[in-house]
Parts: sequence; structure tokens; C-alpha cells
Amino acid sequence: MRPHISVKDLSVQYGALTILNHISIDIPDKKITAIIGPSGCGKTTLLKSFNRLLDLQEGAKVSGQVLVDGEDIYDPGTEMTHLRRRMGLLSQKPTVLPMSIYENVVYGLRIHGEKNKSKLDQAVEKYLREANLWNEVKDRLHDSASRLSIGQQQRLCLARGLAVEPEIILGDEPTSALDPVSAEQIEQRFLALKNQYTIVLVTHILRQAKRLADYVIFLYLGNLIEHGPAEKVLSSPRFVKTQAYLEGRFIEEFPIAAELDLCGGAKQDFPFRFEESLRGLTEGQIFKTLVDNEGLLRQILDLEQGQGHKVLEVRQISSTQWEIIIEKRGIGYSI
Amino acid sequence: MDKRKIEENFFKLLMIFSTLTVLGSLAFILLTILWKGIPALSWEMVTQSPKGGYYIGKAGGVLNAILGSLILGIGSTLLAIVLSLPIAFYLNLYLQKKSRLALAIRFALDVLWGIPSIVYGAFGFTLMLWLKIPASLLAGMITIALLIFPIMTRGIDEVLKMISSELKEATLALGSTRWETATKVIFRQALPGIITAVLLAFGRGISDAAAVLFTAGFTDSLPHSLWKPVATLPLAVFFQLGTPFAEVQARGYAAALILTAMVLLLNILARIIGSRFSRHIIK
Repeated sequence: MRPHISVKDLSVQYGALTILNHISIDIPDKKITAIIGPSGCGKTTLLKSFNRLLDLQEGAKVSGQVLVDGEDIYDPGTEMTHLRRRMGLLSQKPTVLPMSIYENVVYGLRIHGEKNKSKLDQAVEKYLREANLWNEVKDRLHDSASRLSIGQQQRLCLARGLAVEPEIILGDEPTSALDPVSAEQIEQRFLALKNQYTIVLVTHILRQAKRLADYVIFLYLGNLIEHGPAEKVLSSPRFVKTQAYLEGRFIEEFPIAAELDLCGGAKQDFPFRFEESLRGLTEGQIFKTLVDNEGLLRQILDLEQGQGHKVLEVRQISSTQWEIIIEKRGIGYSI
Repeated sequence: MDKRKIEENFFKLLMIFSTLTVLGSLAFILLTILWKGIPALSWEMVTQSPKGGYYIGKAGGVLNAILGSLILGIGSTLLAIVLSLPIAFYLNLYLQKKSRLALAIRFALDVLWGIPSIVYGAFGFTLMLWLKIPASLLAGMITIALLIFPIMTRGIDEVLKMISSELKEATLALGSTRWETATKVIFRQALPGIITAVLLAFGRGISDAAAVLFTAGFTDSLPHSLWKPVATLPLAVFFQLGTPFAEVQARGYAAALILTAMVLLLNILARIIGSRFSRHIIK
């Protein structure tokens, strides 16, 4: 599976506040990816990092890379208008432009130089049909867009975004301001469009993620907790925080009883030191392991989990360091 | 009655009193102008230039000042727009909200706003001496433009600040440059507010006497050249009210009435034109 967007060690800070903490993730091509997590966990920030609307946030400091089709979009040479043209954006609140329905759809085409009237006319019909709005507005294309209902406005925004022929559609809780019927229409559109576009959707509605997503990313307080195919993450999540969130429970920070620093150490003796640390704990206690090597991280994650421990969380804390949070369990305990 | 209720009633009365004071003053001014001006108002007044001894109570009218004020007011407003729009858009779309430059620009504009118009007049006069421009329509226009551009800029600035950031984001997300965002979307959305700001500035400019006293001068002839002095209504009012003759003073009130009516008419006209261009505004 070829990733369409590839995030590498992305961090975003506002002053002393860390919004995104060393996120590395691949967004698959021509699938619907849902970013889920409680409010304020950095979902929208992650989404806005893809089309660099993040640049508009004053005081935001971005480090790391975001590759779209292999090109780093944070490269100083990136042409912003080209980049943004490749991604349609649907925001939380439908934002039509202060012009007619027709002009809304062709706005993007016009600024990118299309002048041919018949081509514009064709585009209006084509994309309004794709957004499932054509039949409702075909007789009043020159009316103000702001007179449409809020659900129609959101579909108009979709048509307007599709008209510039993007490869990616970004949705920032695009149905949260809509009534159930309009919301369902938008969802239907996403399902119909997913074979042609890579769709990334921020949502706080779990059932929406279940209905739509092929791939799920769970963020919590700026950390990437878990990601993977939707059915796996949503029905049998690997980590405790994901489970808690999915079940609607309160997410707690782990009380760390001990730490094991494996940074810079010899690789071979890690199982021994690991075992030793486990032995020093009583059942239910939690310890934190620090590693600075991806191979070692894999090895620890691959350890047999039935044998007295369970990995609760893996968190990248710098470009080369990871924290693994591990709970001591009784021998023979199965997960 | 308990204390909170007394408090509530006291402040409510205060608000009503203030509102009535303001409305009352406005009515008082209008009534005075009407009452004292209408008797002297005649067809000659608005169609003729002053004729032999107008200022001691003879025939003629103030057409010179009507046309002068109109040309001076519109010309200086256009000049001020040319300065104001770029600054306001620069402040709101290109500079960050809390950047020092933005703070400094807004502070400077607020200070300029507070400078009395006679100081602008003196400044304009100094400038004229340097540039060797005589007291003329051009000099008056430039001075008035300088007087009203801070008012206009801050007005437009406040309007642009109110535009939602979502609208900017949505426009940029379609691949617009900032320039396209400003001119094709934000400008349209802000147009009614921009018109209000421009009208406020225009009203201030057309009715100022002190700034044109040295710079535009005064003349009995109709405006015909940028380089020649021009008459203005506020100065016509000033000169006529300053005479000891009751008949001429009445003409002063009539001129004030004409000035007020002109500002009113232009306001209405601009709003009608504005509403035609702003039917797609998002409310």
C-alpha cells in the first residue's frame, strides 16, 4: 500500500504548549482515514499541517516533515497555491464564499486561469452533481450561496473543493454543524468518492469513524497512541488509552513505578535487563522503558505478551527516542 | 426597594437620559439650521455664484462653494481610499495580529486621527511652501485626504478584523494567493463596512473648515483648475456667519443646510450603490 501523505516526526508547538508530539504516520492512498480523539488532542492541527493552513496560526512552530507524494511540503521552495490546490478542505462550519452558487463552484477554476465559459458551465454541473446538489440548485445557480441551507452549503463547499481537481480531501469534522439528514448525505458522498480521492477526516463521532473509515489514527494530548486498519483499531485496540476512549471511559495517565533506560546500551543484554526490571515489580505496577533504536522497539513490542507483561502505550518522545509503558501481569495472564 | 433594583433603575435612567441628550442635540442642530436657513434658501442660492457684494447682502448664491466642496470632498476621499485600502489589507491579511509593525501602524493611525484639523491645515501649508504649490484645489485635496485617511483606514481595519478566519482559510485552501483572497473574497464580504468607513471619512472631510482655510483658499469663481483656489461650504458658512448683517447670516445657515443635505444625499446614494454589490454577502 503506497502512502499518499507521509508524516515524519512532526511536532507542533505554540510557545511552551506542545500540540503535536513527534508524530510519524502514513496516510494510505485512496482510502478514508479517520483521525479520532478527544477535543484538544491535536486532530485539527494534524489535518491543517497537510495543506499548511497551519502557517496562518500565529506563533505555531512546526518541525519534522510532511511528504505528499514523496515531496516535503515544508520545504521552503514549496509553492503554496499548488499544494493547496491538491487538497480540498471541508471545514467544521460550512464556509461559502460571498458570491453566487455558480461563482462559488468556479472560483478555484477561475483563479487557476480557466476562462472558457462552456468549460466553466460544464464544471459547475459536473461537480454539483458529484456533490449531489445539482438537482436542488440547477434553477437558481446565480442566487447567493449564503441563502442555501446549511447542509446544502456544505455540499456546495464539497463541489467547490472538487472543482479544482484535488487528489486529497481533508474534512475537519465536516458534519458536526449539520442536521442528521445532511450529515448522512455528506457521508454518502465520501463513500462514493473514496475510490478517486484520498480522504482524511477528523471526527469526534466514533460511529462515523466506524461507518466510513478504512484506516484510523487515534491521538491523545498530542501523542499518536494507535493507528491501523479501522476494524482492528476500533474493535480490538491494542493499547489501553484507545480502549478507554472507545468505551467512553476516562483516560488516565499511568502511575510509573519504575524506569528502565535502554538508550545507548548493548542490544544483546536487553531481554535480561527487561526481565530483571519486571521481576522487581509486583503485579499491576507499571514501568517505563526508554529506547533509542527502532529495531529494539520492534523487538520489545514483539515479545510474547502473555508472559507476565502487557505493553500499554508506545510514545515517541524525540526523533530517535521512544517510551514504552509496560504493566506487570501475572504469568499465564492472557490478553 | 432593595439595592440591586435601585441600581438597575438608576443605570437604566442614565442610559435613557444619555440617548435623549444625543438625539435631542441632533434635532436641535437640524431644527436651528432649518429654521434659520430656509427663509434665505432660494433657487439663486444653489444655481449662482456670488455676485456683486454678495457678502454684504446682495444677489447671487453659493454654487462656487457647493461645487468646490463636492469636488474637494470626492477627490480627497478617492485619494484617501488609495492610501487606506492597501494599509488596511496589509494589516489584516499580510501582518500577524500581534506583530509589532501592526501595533505600531494602528497606534500611529490613532494618533493621526486625534490631531486637530487646523494642525493639518498648517502642515499642508508648510508642505505647499516647500513644494511651491499655491493655495489651490490640489493643495486642499491633499490636506483633506491626509486628514481623513486615518479615520478611513481604522474604519476599514475594524471591518476587516471582523471577517471570520474560516472564510480566509476556505479561500486560501482553494489555492488562492493572499492577494486573490483579499480582492476577490474578503473585499466583497467587507464591502458594506468599507462603504460605511469611507462615508464617515467623506463626511468629516467635506465639512472641515480649518484644514482648507490656508490650503484651498476661497474664491468667488467656480472651480476650474487644480492649481487655483477653490471655495468650500464650511468656509462659506464661516465667512457669512461672521458678518454683522442678519441677511447674510441667514444665508450662512442656508449654506449649512445645503452642506448637511449634500452629506445626507451622498450617504443614501452610496448605500444604494453598495447594496447592489453586496447581495451575496454572508450574514
